[in-house]
Amino acid sequence: MAAEKGWIQGDESGKEMLSRVLTEWPPFLLLPPFHRLPLRVGNVVELVGPSLSAKTHILIQVAISCILPKEWNGVHYGGLGRLVMFLDLDCRFDISCLAQLLKLRIIQANGSSSKVHWDQKVGNLGTCHAKGNSSIAYDEELFALCLRRFLYVRCYDSFEFLATLKTLCFRLQKEREAYGISVHFLMIDSIGAFHWVDRACRPLPHEVNNRKSLSLQSVSETVVQEMRKLLLVHPMVVIATKATIIGDKNSTKEVKWKSRKLSTPDTSYSEDVKSNTQHVPYHEYMPSVWQSFVTHRIAVRPTGEHSTITQNKQVQLSVYLSQWLLPPLKFLDKFALLPDGSIILQQID
Amino acid sequence: MAPLKSLEREYPIIDSEFQNFCASHGIFSVEDFLINDLYELAALAEQQPTLERLKEGITQVLGIIDNQHQPWLNGMDLLEDALRNKHFLSTGFEGGTEASKVMVAFINLDGNAVHYRFERLSNRDHDWTERQLVGPFVLTFGVRLDLLLQGGFRAGQLTELVGPSSSGKTQCTDEVFAETQFCLQTAANVAVKHMGRVVYLDTGNSFSPQRIAHFMELISDLHFKQAKHKILQKAMSNIVCHSVFDIFAMFDVLCQLECDLRSQMDRRDYLVQLLIVDSVSSLITPVLGGSGSQGINTWMYVTGFRKLDFVTGICHIASLLKKYMGTGRALMISAGFLLKKLAHEHNLAVVVTNHTVGGEGGASKPALGESWKSVPHVRLLVSRNRGSSSCSVSILKHPSMASGKATEFVISEF
Repeated sequence: MAAEKGWIQGDESGKEMLSRVLTEWPPFLLLPPFHRLPLRVGNVVELVGPSLSAKTHILIQVAISCILPKEWNGVHYGGLGRLVMFLDLDCRFDISCLAQLLKLRIIQANGSSSKVHWDQKVGNLGTCHAKGNSSIAYDEELFALCLRRFLYVRCYDSFEFLATLKTLCFRLQKEREAYGISVHFLMIDSIGAFHWVDRACRPLPHEVNNRKSLSLQSVSETVVQEMRKLLLVHPMVVIATKATIIGDKNSTKEVKWKSRKLSTPDTSYSEDVKSNTQHVPYHEYMPSVWQSFVTHRIAVRPTGEHSTITQNKQVQLSVYLSQWLLPPLKFLDKFALLPDGSIILQQID
Repeated sequence: MAPLKSLEREYPIIDSEFQNFCASHGIFSVEDFLINDLYELAALAEQQPTLERLKEGITQVLGIIDNQHQPWLNGMDLLEDALRNKHFLSTGFEGGTEASKVMVAFINLDGNAVHYRFERLSNRDHDWTERQLVGPFVLTFGVRLDLLLQGGFRAGQLTELVGPSSSGKTQCTDEVFAETQFCLQTAANVAVKHMGRVVYLDTGNSFSPQRIAHFMELISDLHFKQAKHKILQKAMSNIVCHSVFDIFAMFDVLCQLECDLRSQMDRRDYLVQLLIVDSVSSLITPVLGGSGSQGINTWMYVTGFRKLDFVTGICHIASLLKKYMGTGRALMISAGFLLKKLAHEHNLAVVVTNHTVGGEGGASKPALGESWKSVPHVRLLVSRNRGSSSCSVSILKHPSMASGKATEFVISEF
């Protein structure tokens, strides 16, 4: 009874609240490009960039940080120990990438020092069951535990996406009961995957008055509506990637011409969004209902540059550029992917 | 998707009363359920006298919706499926060195090591076998391309070959695109070495059984003439070619294929392993937006130097253009999803070709542009080296590798 009363009273100082919130929901994702601002449950982060800007790779790294435990048998892994729900709209997700990077992270945390040993382990990723080595077998258990925390569903069209969202609430509840932990990240890769298909939907000629027709607009509205409800019941961080499917000037012109001609309802938001620094420009194509749902937006793109680091031997790294568009921050960050898949920040010179 | 009426027989709870209630809120089908707010609907049901039955009906429809999406999986399920079903298909491009067999590392994250090995390999220095070459895949020494691709084309994935169409100056019809050769040789290799079925969608009469037979002769190293003949015959019958000249015909073939695969899923003898579309860009460019004439021009450019009666072709395409103006990208993306679905669910390796066309400023670019880029798993750039029969391949995109790596291989002339 006292506990309930205490809960109703609910007055606490700012300091108390901060410490409570910080322990309940660790807000910082130290991984670039997310490191600039704290992200908390309820946030909807959009990662926008062209093809080959390492968007899916960033998602995978975040997912690994989430499914790894903080500590396991005395070894510190520094993960969140939570579940990840991955909605694959691009249908290109490759589990062997995730498995491999996860394995590397586990091996690194265990601090295997010998290089040859490391190589062997990397080579054996596919057939890890073969080894009878005790330390690897012990890794195996954690590896399987982590992989089971990664929940996945693929969607081939908007119907499947909507059907998934409509039933996601029950599903998350079930998973929470089964695992005893909740989903911390809901990942969508990528949100604009069905854009062109939905846009081509035309209302039926003989329309009943109050019947909603399937269109880009109604799909986006429903998606946002369902996700808002979901976030009330299951507090999570949403990270959605968005490919810049409209490329150079040429195709931009073409699209504008087309939307005028067909007078589709989305002309209002087909505008060029340029950041003030003009470093990471992109073309917004998602309906405004989705845009207003997004709380954070980060643009990433490849720079085409390469940097060289020396890690036992010389390694060439591709360098990417990231910039916060929402809230607009002045910083441009450069980051690179190391051979082991981890992401490092680079100084802007 | 199903109208509610048709569900009545199977689910008695979806009776006429429930249907009327839904109809009064603009819901007639399961599809309508998806784009409407079910919480709101449930709240509206509260005001009705028969709210219990209505709510039961809504729960029933939700149950039906739950079967409309792909299954929920966890990482372990996915990994097991990948290890069991998503094998690599060797492309069969020998680099010319002796074919001693070595084990090659499964997936080597440190891509630079692979590159390094290529360099050493080209210096005819073979002492690189010591360290990293452990793992489950048996490959031949010279198969550099497979090495570059970490084992070849992978089942479950959509691989795109980007290559230049032959230049406008040559009127020589005998010249075959490097990508087409590539496709033919891979088809031959899969049919002979993997004993798998190959479905080949040919858009420009570039499929050549003679060439395939030639490649097969080269690949199979059997000495007994009769056995060889038998095997080649079986392998040839395993390659099925469909001529398709527009995207709708491709959809027809693919849907038929999906049907066949689904009905024969448990029969091991009908095991399609490879699906080739050569070229997917010549099917898609005509229906892709832009101005109509531009679409036709691109299409002519892409297919013009092939043995195709293109007067009838243009008439056909022009009529389609009128009809489907503006939905081109939708068709393209749908085709991409259909190919990926086939690849994943039936464990096929899918290979499509995308020709480059002249872009602005003389630079050539793939005919399918920015929207297509996010469709394939793997993109490779194939180009024929000037004045020689060798080709180079470089990786534009790969799920587990940085792009920009390259290798060379030889296509045997015929």
